Amino acid sequence: MTAKPWQPPRSLAWLQALMQPHLALDWPLAEWERVVRLSRRLRMLARLAERIDAAGIIDRVPPQARRHLVAEQRLSRWRTGSMIWVLERVATTLGEGSYPLVLLKGSAYIGQDLAIAAGRLPSDVDILVPQAHLAEALTQLKQAGWREPELDEHDRRYYYEWSHEVPPMTHPLYGMELDLHHNILPPVARIRVDADALLQRLRPSKWEAWQVLDPVDQVLHSAAHLFFDSEARDRIRDLVDLDGLLRHFADEPDFWARLPARAHTLGLTEPLALAVHYTQRWFGTPIPGDVVAQVASLGPGRLRRAWLLPLMDLILTPGEPDAKPALAQGLAANVLLIRYHWGRMPLRLLIPHLWHKMRAGAANGNTGATRPDKA
Amino acid sequence: MSSAPRSHQTLGDTDTLAFAKVLADAGFGIDVGAVSVHVRSDSKLFARQLQSVYAHFPLMDRAQWADVHLTINRASGFRRLIRPQVILQCDGRQPFEPFPANAPLPLFEWGCNWMIGQRLNDLLLLHAGAVERDGLALLLPAMPGSGKSTLTAALSLRGWRLLSDEFGAFNPDSGTFRALLKPVALKNQSIEVIRTFAPNAVFGPEFPNTRKGTVAHLAAEPDAVERRHESARPGAVVLPKWQAGSPTRWEPLTENVLFGALAFNAFNYSVLGATGFRSVVRLVRQCPGWQLVYSDLDDALATIDAAWPQVRERQLAAGQ
Repeated sequence: MTAKPWQPPRSLAWLQALMQPHLALDWPLAEWERVVRLSRRLRMLARLAERIDAAGIIDRVPPQARRHLVAEQRLSRWRTGSMIWVLERVATTLGEGSYPLVLLKGSAYIGQDLAIAAGRLPSDVDILVPQAHLAEALTQLKQAGWREPELDEHDRRYYYEWSHEVPPMTHPLYGMELDLHHNILPPVARIRVDADALLQRLRPSKWEAWQVLDPVDQVLHSAAHLFFDSEARDRIRDLVDLDGLLRHFADEPDFWARLPARAHTLGLTEPLALAVHYTQRWFGTPIPGDVVAQVASLGPGRLRRAWLLPLMDLILTPGEPDAKPALAQGLAANVLLIRYHWGRMPLRLLIPHLWHKMRAGAANGNTGATRPDKA
Repeated sequence: MSSAPRSHQTLGDTDTLAFAKVLADAGFGIDVGAVSVHVRSDSKLFARQLQSVYAHFPLMDRAQWADVHLTINRASGFRRLIRPQVILQCDGRQPFEPFPANAPLPLFEWGCNWMIGQRLNDLLLLHAGAVERDGLALLLPAMPGSGKSTLTAALSLRGWRLLSDEFGAFNPDSGTFRALLKPVALKNQSIEVIRTFAPNAVFGPEFPNTRKGTVAHLAAEPDAVERRHESARPGAVVLPKWQAGSPTRWEPLTENVLFGALAFNAFNYSVLGATGFRSVVRLVRQCPGWQLVYSDLDDALATIDAAWPQVRERQLAAGQ
């Protein structure tokens, strides 16, 4: 296993300071300004702050930048605390022991004290229950004051028939949304993940009431989340998560042997291939050579890589803070949006869905600008 | 702070075309005390509006550091002909809906305050007007519609130094208040009340039909601009409440009422956690507080002035 050098795009070179915080002390003030702006937009500023703080060098950061590190660190710790509070309350609501309660994504990383848990900015809590207990869980949550959003008939059907989660719920007491899942990908997707297979390999988290997915499944879920999602722009944090997961679980027994095999079983070879490609190429994630070769042989073929990788490059590379949004990036995002929907829904569902979204978008002015907090 | 003034030239006495060019090219740095803002725009109208309400601010080059970077450009395409708009961008994102092209200033002020409220978690941001006298801060926390901005504006025009009409920006480390010297945003009847109260007060244009009705911005006085980096120690808290036809009422408040008025009305009290709690406890222990119900502005000001020597004595004694 050889660690390759970091070769991220120019706009991401500063991410190396996550691994070697002392590098940040060499940045001139103008670079600090750029990094603060860019990393805040990418939701990486608090992660940088936590790394620099943990290295004991935050006092050596120029004061103009330091105040922003401190400010974002406070925001992150508060939101993380709020999330843990919600998890405690939800565990009490759903009762302990009758069926598994599973943490997903950020909540799982925090529930295992992974290195990538520090400096997150959770605005929602992702949890999973077995589909057989979904209705029961939903009823219990509603009785405890969780509310479903008001949806039009289309969106309601979208969630309940075609989605892998119920509509995000809110609670008057907690400033967090709750995303209740019964699978990690929608049930109607061309790629169908067997949720029972996930539930058979759960592991304890640091909280008794909550479990987490098998490490291999955590990686695959994270990869599917990034590479099968509708919007991969400014999603560098997910790539950093993948790097962190691969580094953390590298020493688990059989981890590397099981990863490609499990991806094949669950039908997630393409996202895994993309995850391996980008973490290794951009962040130098140490991955055994035979795993890289195996994943490459299972993943997208040469023809598909020829158009998919350049588009992904374009989309994953964030624009500079002062740059106008690149036209090419917008076009690439649309092509991948079509790929996303193509993989997610059969055509007979997809065409009415896109038609509805287009009409709803036109009616709302379609600026996408109403929720800056969740951006 | 980190910006170099161009020979003390102020924004108000700069040629509008020259300023519009600066604004469109490198952009312009506004240092409002606790925060510096970098703004760029291709709207000449915005250049003129900025000049009117930031008249006494120095004309500065692109600052070395800014905490908030905003671009306000005119929307392109057919929009320009049918319903022209301005769009705010921050760090390559568009966080808000566009505004009509003739209202870039309210979009800037609103967007800027929103960014400040989101980002400055190094400070405890109370939702309060703040003015200074004798080195001591007078805080006016209140819910919208209580006449907080009107009273803050009136005080700032009668010898009190304006710190902010929106943020009581408390530094938990130093225990002092800092200025966030944005123009005071007055709404609806308040605009006429202050025009009558101080006929020489300098206003920007009136913007009718905003989400909050008509808005006009009051330019900060030259002295407040000059001294925007001077902090103020905690002085007193006054909860204003404007009530039509009411005689002036001045009633002392207990610590627990003051605590709620400061903490639960703040922008980031809970984000600061224990630091936020300790800061507010410290403030209510240090500051006497009153409820001020008023309808007559002059009488309200006279009441505050009459109580002030007692505040000054108390804080002087505490400081020794």
